[in-house]
Amino acid sequence: MKKNLLVTAIISVAAFTNVQLAQADEKWDAIASTAKGQTVYFNAWGGSDNINKYVKWAGDEVKKRYGVNVELVKITDAGEVVKRIKTEKEAGRNEGGSVDMMWVNGENFRALKTNGLLHGPWAESIPSWEFVDTNKPVRKDFSETTDGLEAPWGTAQLTFIADKNAVAEPPRSAKELLAFASKNNGRVSYPKPPNFHGTTFLKQLLSELVSDASILAEPVNEESFASVSQPLWDYLDKLHPVSWREGKAFPANNAEMHQKLADGELKLSLTFNPNDAANLVAKEQLPPSTYSFGFTNGTIGNVHFLAIPFNAKAKEGAQVFANFLLSPEAQVRKADITVWGDPSVLDASKLTAEQQAVFNKRAPGSLTEVNPTLPEPHATWVGALETEWLKRYGSQ
Amino acid sequence: MLALAGICLTLFPIVPGLLWVLSPAFNSATWVELVQDGQFNSAVLSTLGSAVGSTLLALIFASLVTMWIYPGRGWSLAQKQLPLFLAFPHIAFAIGIAFLIAPSGWLARGLANLLEWGSPPQWVSIRDPYAISLTLTLAIKETWFLIWIMATLLGEQAISRQITLANSLGYSRRQVWITALFPQLLPRMGWPLVAVLAYSLSVVDMAVILGPSTPPTLAVLSWQWLTDPDDMTQAKGSAAAMCLMLLLGLLILTGRGVWWGVKKLYRNPSGIRQPGKIFKSRLLGGIPVFIPGWLSLAILLLWSVAGGWFFPKLFPASLSLKSFNNADFEPMFTALWIGIATVLIALPLTLAWLEWGSRKHHGWLYAPLILPSLPIAAAQYHVLLSINLDSTAIGVIWSHLTWTFPYMLLVLVGPYYSFDARYLCTAQALGHSRFQACLNVKWPMLIRPILAAMAVGFAVSVAQYLPTLFSGGGRFATVTTEAVALSAGGNRRVLAVQSLLQTALPLCAFMSAIVLTAWYARNRQGLK
Repeated sequence: MKKNLLVTAIISVAAFTNVQLAQADEKWDAIASTAKGQTVYFNAWGGSDNINKYVKWAGDEVKKRYGVNVELVKITDAGEVVKRIKTEKEAGRNEGGSVDMMWVNGENFRALKTNGLLHGPWAESIPSWEFVDTNKPVRKDFSETTDGLEAPWGTAQLTFIADKNAVAEPPRSAKELLAFASKNNGRVSYPKPPNFHGTTFLKQLLSELVSDASILAEPVNEESFASVSQPLWDYLDKLHPVSWREGKAFPANNAEMHQKLADGELKLSLTFNPNDAANLVAKEQLPPSTYSFGFTNGTIGNVHFLAIPFNAKAKEGAQVFANFLLSPEAQVRKADITVWGDPSVLDASKLTAEQQAVFNKRAPGSLTEVNPTLPEPHATWVGALETEWLKRYGSQ
Repeated sequence: MLALAGICLTLFPIVPGLLWVLSPAFNSATWVELVQDGQFNSAVLSTLGSAVGSTLLALIFASLVTMWIYPGRGWSLAQKQLPLFLAFPHIAFAIGIAFLIAPSGWLARGLANLLEWGSPPQWVSIRDPYAISLTLTLAIKETWFLIWIMATLLGEQAISRQITLANSLGYSRRQVWITALFPQLLPRMGWPLVAVLAYSLSVVDMAVILGPSTPPTLAVLSWQWLTDPDDMTQAKGSAAAMCLMLLLGLLILTGRGVWWGVKKLYRNPSGIRQPGKIFKSRLLGGIPVFIPGWLSLAILLLWSVAGGWFFPKLFPASLSLKSFNNADFEPMFTALWIGIATVLIALPLTLAWLEWGSRKHHGWLYAPLILPSLPIAAAQYHVLLSINLDSTAIGVIWSHLTWTFPYMLLVLVGPYYSFDARYLCTAQALGHSRFQACLNVKWPMLIRPILAAMAVGFAVSVAQYLPTLFSGGGRFATVTTEAVALSAGGNRRVLAVQSLLQTALPLCAFMSAIVLTAWYARNRQGLK
């Protein structure tokens, strides 16, 4: 009797799960068939040739396999897209918006989420989700929960680049960086905030200089902001007089810093992609003696995501595209250092040995050491830091 | 009637959009925020400095050049080079200049080889805080434009005969120019100068490439604020755009006042003949003003075929056509079809207006040339958004029409209104309707100015940056948007290739205009 009950229970649970899976499969089939013929306008940062080429490859594959057209819309900052979606919502455009999918994270995701500008949840219902490594921080974006509104695409870590012939011993902490800048007057700088590379550099410094780093995980408190961030402003007041153009001007973005590094005008450059330097060396944009390095106590790392706006015209097409981008084939190709080199969000144990081998490929210039990853501060710190920086140094 | 309808469709919808964009500026709280923002004061100063400075410098350079080489062999050499450099897009020129004078640019590399520098000097050349490099580059480009205007004006016999007359009375060239010719030329250059001033005041793409960044000029700042998600920042952007328009109005009034003052002061010129130098028609005199242009072109060409080229090498270590092979030609084709479509729509509108429109009241059509382009582009986006045409090809083409149409009108209005009316009269007397007469007689006879106007319209459409970005929602990447996006980037080879493609388009347009005119006039003596 009991055995029968147990067996019945097991069978019914199995059947129920099968029904659920079958339902999920059906739902996905419905989405995939609606997606055929749709055109997905994918708004993504277009500042890197390699990334653009990869997205084009992914678009071509998706067109071949699922009949979805993908158009890459290159943008300089995700904030513009947030503004555009917001304007469309205010103008009453609740359908047929101009953005179908966007590459986003951090404070821009938070702005989208709090203003109700996202479609979803959808991220955990796509078939590729089963490969995602949920031990990685893929459900939180700058301490804000994603709630399935965005799907993780890759990971990033702040990495510094230098030339072996000019910099034999690189600085490996904020303090060492200041000493390095003083010895190499006028050869150190960072992108002007609110460029996201510049803001991350500020966050990196703040996380090292603040007395208790855990306060950064909390939303910023207006009253305590001044005192908490004071060490950062003191540091910058010391750094700027010995930095490039005496801190009166800053490179516009990290690509400009790479160019200045190539010419020797700057001694350090920075990037989010640990394999960026390898790509640039391969394209003869940086000399072969370039190398990447991190800080001893770690540099800020994050996960970047894909999101779908609430008024997207091609919601199903976007999900099909995102599903492909999260598939093992696409993620492995993305992590291939000769293609893009962006680390994958997938669980390596769920991949074949061949695919895992791609993750270990190295090329001259890429980051060879393993540095700890520091967590991103809460999304609200970004706006506060940018505003304060502009107030203090935005006009000279 | 049709003409009026067409014009209205093109231009009037912008007005409600403009009101919507500027409406946050009517709130006094916005103005308080704006003035309190630390970046505002320096932005206004650098904007005013670069705009007034570049206009004045351009006027002075153009006057000096004209005074120096008109009307000899140097002048005709200059005239031959002018079309090339008028067609040279602002952005490509600015990028070339940036390649030249940057701390790691050609000039610095030359000096580095002479003075044995290991690293680039710590110069402050491009992106300097006082916008000097921006001012000078704008001045050079506008000098060429003003020389062209002066050439058109001097082409009128009434003026050039005065030089001969005054010379025969014993006056030196310099005296003739200063006392007789400039007082006549300058008032007629009034509106072109206003257009130049308006452009310098509201230029965004050149200011992004060469202008200061802490803080940027007011136009760039306004643009950054208008594309920010935060509401207050957006309102500040609208207020800044309104500020630009107010500044322009103020400067025009100041200019008028200065001219009135100058006229009052110099009411009684003395007729005393002053000693002067003998005028030699120097052939080489036609080159100096174009040297920056030639250098800019040369460095763009070099970068586009360079392999690895690091400081302090004066020439690339290796040459390769890899950049051209891997180049993305799509932005060029996008710019091409948008330009052609815009011109094909603007041409009937222009011709219809010139033929059937009012002759006296057409001043307001030139408004887009004089107003800052940023608020207009933002207004266009809002209008398109409300009728669901944003991010479409039609939207982008419509937004380009706003600037293409006035420029084509500008080029065509002179030859059109001075066309001998008797031809049309004769044709109509022979039984043709007015439209048929125009089609078969008038317009074919005006083929040269019409083709020139089309080339100019095409060049204007290719050079549009803000309208393509705003109305196209980022979906239409033209050579111009690509060049500006890449100008702050690391891959100088790709940037040089895109700049050259951007230059090639209007150049081809001008050359085909010349070739088509010559071909059409091959059997027609009167059209040559």
